[in-house]
Amino acid sequence: MNYMDEEMPSKDKNPPKIIDMTTSEKVVDLLNKAALIPTDEKLTVLKQVQELIINKDPSLLDNFLDEMIAFQTDKSIEVRKFVIGFIEEACKRDNELLLKLIVNLNMLLRDDSVNVIKKGILALTQLYKVALQWLVQSRVISGMQEACWELITQMKGEVLDLLDTENDGVRTHCIKFTEALIIALSPRTPDSEVPKRQENDISLDKVPKDHSYIRYDALCEEGKTAVEKLLKFMVHPAISSINLTTALGSLATIAKQRPMFMSQVVQAYETLHANLPPTLAKSQVSSVRKNLKMHLVAVLKHSCSVEFHVQICTLLQDLGMPQSEIARSTPSLREPRKRSR
Amino acid sequence: MPSHPLRVAVVCSSNQNRSMEAHNILSKRGFAVRSFGTGSHVKLPGPAPDKPNVYDFKTTYEQMYNDLVRKDKELYTQNGILHMLDRNKRIKSKPERFQSCKDKFDLIITCEERVYDQVLEDFHSKEEECSQPVHVINVDIQDNHEEATLGAFLICELCQCLQHTDDMENEIDELLQDLEEKSKRTFLHTVCFY
Repeated sequence: MNYMDEEMPSKDKNPPKIIDMTTSEKVVDLLNKAALIPTDEKLTVLKQVQELIINKDPSLLDNFLDEMIAFQTDKSIEVRKFVIGFIEEACKRDNELLLKLIVNLNMLLRDDSVNVIKKGILALTQLYKVALQWLVQSRVISGMQEACWELITQMKGEVLDLLDTENDGVRTHCIKFTEALIIALSPRTPDSEVPKRQENDISLDKVPKDHSYIRYDALCEEGKTAVEKLLKFMVHPAISSINLTTALGSLATIAKQRPMFMSQVVQAYETLHANLPPTLAKSQVSSVRKNLKMHLVAVLKHSCSVEFHVQICTLLQDLGMPQSEIARSTPSLREPRKRSR
Repeated sequence: MPSHPLRVAVVCSSNQNRSMEAHNILSKRGFAVRSFGTGSHVKLPGPAPDKPNVYDFKTTYEQMYNDLVRKDKELYTQNGILHMLDRNKRIKSKPERFQSCKDKFDLIITCEERVYDQVLEDFHSKEEECSQPVHVINVDIQDNHEEATLGAFLICELCQCLQHTDDMENEIDELLQDLEEKSKRTFLHTVCFY
């Protein structure tokens, strides 16, 4: 058959080209389709394109970037949220794309829909770390990279300011952003409990003190300021129970991953326990106390909380935890970390 | 209304009675709902309180049904267990364990405090991936047929109210307080992150 005769030799000679063309053509076809179909189907098609140009054949990413980003003005919130997810994945795949796409993310952070803004904050939470790592690893920083980092720094400041915004859900996202920022802008120590997924993430100890552009001291200060900001946010008398819960969890994460803040965290827990916001309803108080108990136990188990055991155990007792249970959750000082066989 | 249908999970201990009753009603009302159990095994009442029928989460509702018919058809017809299993197998093939599920939800509703604690514990034992929030709400429901039905209607009302908000996260606090007052119940509520 003709078909076989033609297909086989070319496949043997140059297989990647044929695959490339096929993928590229498929992407063109899908993008043409996406322009004309309803939202649900559009999302399915765009997800296929993302898979093809980010995972299957990243060499196509540059070619189709503009076409994908064009959907950032789509009237559907879900499509705009998808574009944010795409920006995040594309920049993770190819850090150079930050130079171009950070502007688009900045635009989407000013969207009319809070759901788009929230998705934007989640993406910036990830991309801030990616950008910092990328700049730290670059020996010479170009003017474009400088402009990119300046914009990211500005966006970071704006998201931190959103901690004071009126929308509760946006604030929840900002707390998580602040948590990640604090972890990135403080040094990892031998006592840091680092989640496996974050093992390769940037942290202050990986920033050289003599870097040509990134200033170690300035970042360190920014990290400390972020801690202050989070602690101040937590003592706001009208904080919602969900934001309080989120902040309690963030503080536990910070204490475990950055034990240098342990003292501030324990003190914040003590202050909160003594002054629960008067605006909380009875059931919200129960929910918050339950969360506080859970996070205190997690902090109690950390090796760097030893000097705060008395305070933590008193708090747990006040929260109604039986003495036997507290004792079970308290690591023994003499007990080696891992039992040797 | 939110930009997409809420992804809801209803969770009880064995994914048989309370979560399945709510699953049934919510799916009939058009929700994207899944149901789960948090127990290590699936337990159904047996001939005596200390002799439950225990299955693993791989056992289908159909297999449980056949097993109980074989053991004592009259007893399990009379106490409604066979009827419940028959209903369940029309919804899905077998119970699912919450801790094994990798899908993400917007809202997780638990049916008792112990289950709520287990859901929270599961979130804290897993590493955070993308910081996407999920609201976890506990509605206490006693584990019997009548309470399961009443509880399912309450869960359904809760989901409908949340689905109709313009911005769920911004309105959930107030909405829960209103519903607490209306239903004369208290809910535990927290947020976890994927």
